[in-house]
Amino acid sequence: MASARLGAPGDLSEREREAVEALLYQLADDEFVVADRYTDWQCQGPTLEADIAIANIAQDELGHARLWYDLLQDFGYEETELIWEREAEEFRHATLCEQSFESGDWADAVVRSYFYDVAEFLQVEALAETSYPRIADRIEKVNGEEHYHREHAQNWLERLCEDAEGTRRVQAAVDDLYPYALTLFEPTAKEDDIVELGIRPTPLAQLREEWYDLTGAFLDGLGVSVPDREALDDLVAEETGRDGSHTDDWQRQYNELTYTYRMLDRTEARRLMADPDEV
Amino acid sequence: MQDRYKHCYMDIEEVKQRAGPREFGPTDDMPEEYRKAATRMIQFHANSEIMGAYIERPFIRQAPSLDRKLAVSAQVQDEIGHGQLLYRAAENLGIKTREQMLDELANGEGKFLNCFHYPLDDWYELPMIMFFVDGAAMRRQATLKRTSWEPYAHAIDKICFEEGFHIKHGESILAELASGTRRDQERLQEAFDKWWPRILQFFGPTDDQSTHSDFSSAVGLKTMGNDALRTAFLNVYLPKAEKYGLEIPDTPAVTFNEDTQRYEVEEDDLDWDEFMQIARNQYPQGKGQIDKRHRTQEAVEWVRDAIENPGAGSAAAD
Repeated sequence: MASARLGAPGDLSEREREAVEALLYQLADDEFVVADRYTDWQCQGPTLEADIAIANIAQDELGHARLWYDLLQDFGYEETELIWEREAEEFRHATLCEQSFESGDWADAVVRSYFYDVAEFLQVEALAETSYPRIADRIEKVNGEEHYHREHAQNWLERLCEDAEGTRRVQAAVDDLYPYALTLFEPTAKEDDIVELGIRPTPLAQLREEWYDLTGAFLDGLGVSVPDREALDDLVAEETGRDGSHTDDWQRQYNELTYTYRMLDRTEARRLMADPDEV
Repeated sequence: MQDRYKHCYMDIEEVKQRAGPREFGPTDDMPEEYRKAATRMIQFHANSEIMGAYIERPFIRQAPSLDRKLAVSAQVQDEIGHGQLLYRAAENLGIKTREQMLDELANGEGKFLNCFHYPLDDWYELPMIMFFVDGAAMRRQATLKRTSWEPYAHAIDKICFEEGFHIKHGESILAELASGTRRDQERLQEAFDKWWPRILQFFGPTDDQSTHSDFSSAVGLKTMGNDALRTAFLNVYLPKAEKYGLEIPDTPAVTFNEDTQRYEVEEDDLDWDEFMQIARNQYPQGKGQIDKRHRTQEAVEWVRDAIENPGAGSAAAD
């Protein structure tokens, strides 16, 4: 059921535009917040090499956030409105992204990144069929890097699960994060329009099924168990992020994130790099 | 046999004679005194990269724009990468392993630059490190491209290349604040007043007071003295500070001596007691930084156990 190709940003109907915006906020906020969380590991990684690798991933995700926020700028928004002056409860990222790390809980970092990267991979694959040309332009760039992220997370999971204590920690992280991981597939208010207009033709509910199969099979192979498929609906965390509900961790992260911006009393966010459309 | 031995082993006199840029490497059988001096110097540098990354780290999250966040994250990552390179160059000398050096850093035995013992309070202080201190470090490092231990010089090539971008970014933050509101300019000046004496002390005590200088210079590890480096720094950075509207504090007094063509700093205006306390890793705030490093390293100890002795399970429980 191929949908009609949507027009340029300025030519969208109100319905189309609202659906595009909802999807872009979801994509951009996920990348931005998870990346910022990954940077918690800079200078804290288990080895210098691990430290450098997670910093790379954080920067890739920040780069993706930049690509998606940039598409929102097509509608006339500035970076300040999109990030720095937005209220905490206006962010639409899944609450998986915002969870703080317990000191030293590298298993959490690895499991989270695995859950996130598989979901992102599926989402990006679905977006390859998008009816909105501006999103289609950006997909290739995102896809190339996600492959490396998934491999990184899988390698670490394999290494940790060769060890009894490592496996125990991975299992604990899977158990703790699962309810939040499921929020990645919780719909925004515009989900039906997003699918019907073909902006992302595959519904999130279907992506969740694929995600469950992929991650479940891989973790099972490592001796790590995941919840039963039937239990998933009841397991989803109460705060999904997609509707603006967040955990306390987000408010703390948000306060720190915006601290300097507020302190400087700024009205603009300094750009240092070329606009993605000009690269 | 006799000849071959003579060919490989070098005594200190021969080292001093041959000492020149990138003269020695892992295939040379260097005397222990040289290897120890080089290890001390490179380990200090590596530790400084790690602890420098530590004080900049909070500003990844606190950066006020997406691009600045990316730049600070990349910068902190580069510094960890420099640490990695330098520990490798030091390891080549056969005195200490990387693990030993990292343990020493976490235990408070490892020494590092004075400026990285002071945590940064806010964004206004960031360019003090990213522009002035990194600029000072760049002066010193540029002279180390000619150090006699080749693996060190090789690491320095990459470090200087990347450090150039960091300083540019530091200058861009400085320029943005300096052209901001009046309040921005005042806060920037306060940060500068606070950091200026520390920056002057970056180069350490004057040459006649410096403990390890003579030997390191004689064997070509060090290629320029503290005094000359400080002058080279001030020549460039005093005008830059003024360009951004910063007033140079009256104390410590800095004057230019026309005869020697050098800047002179009134040494008594600087707090050398604090400097020495820092050098012993006993300055309270610096100790706080080291303890933080210790705790975070301890918290991920289980990961290193798991990947180094897989299958062994929790060794601590046995």
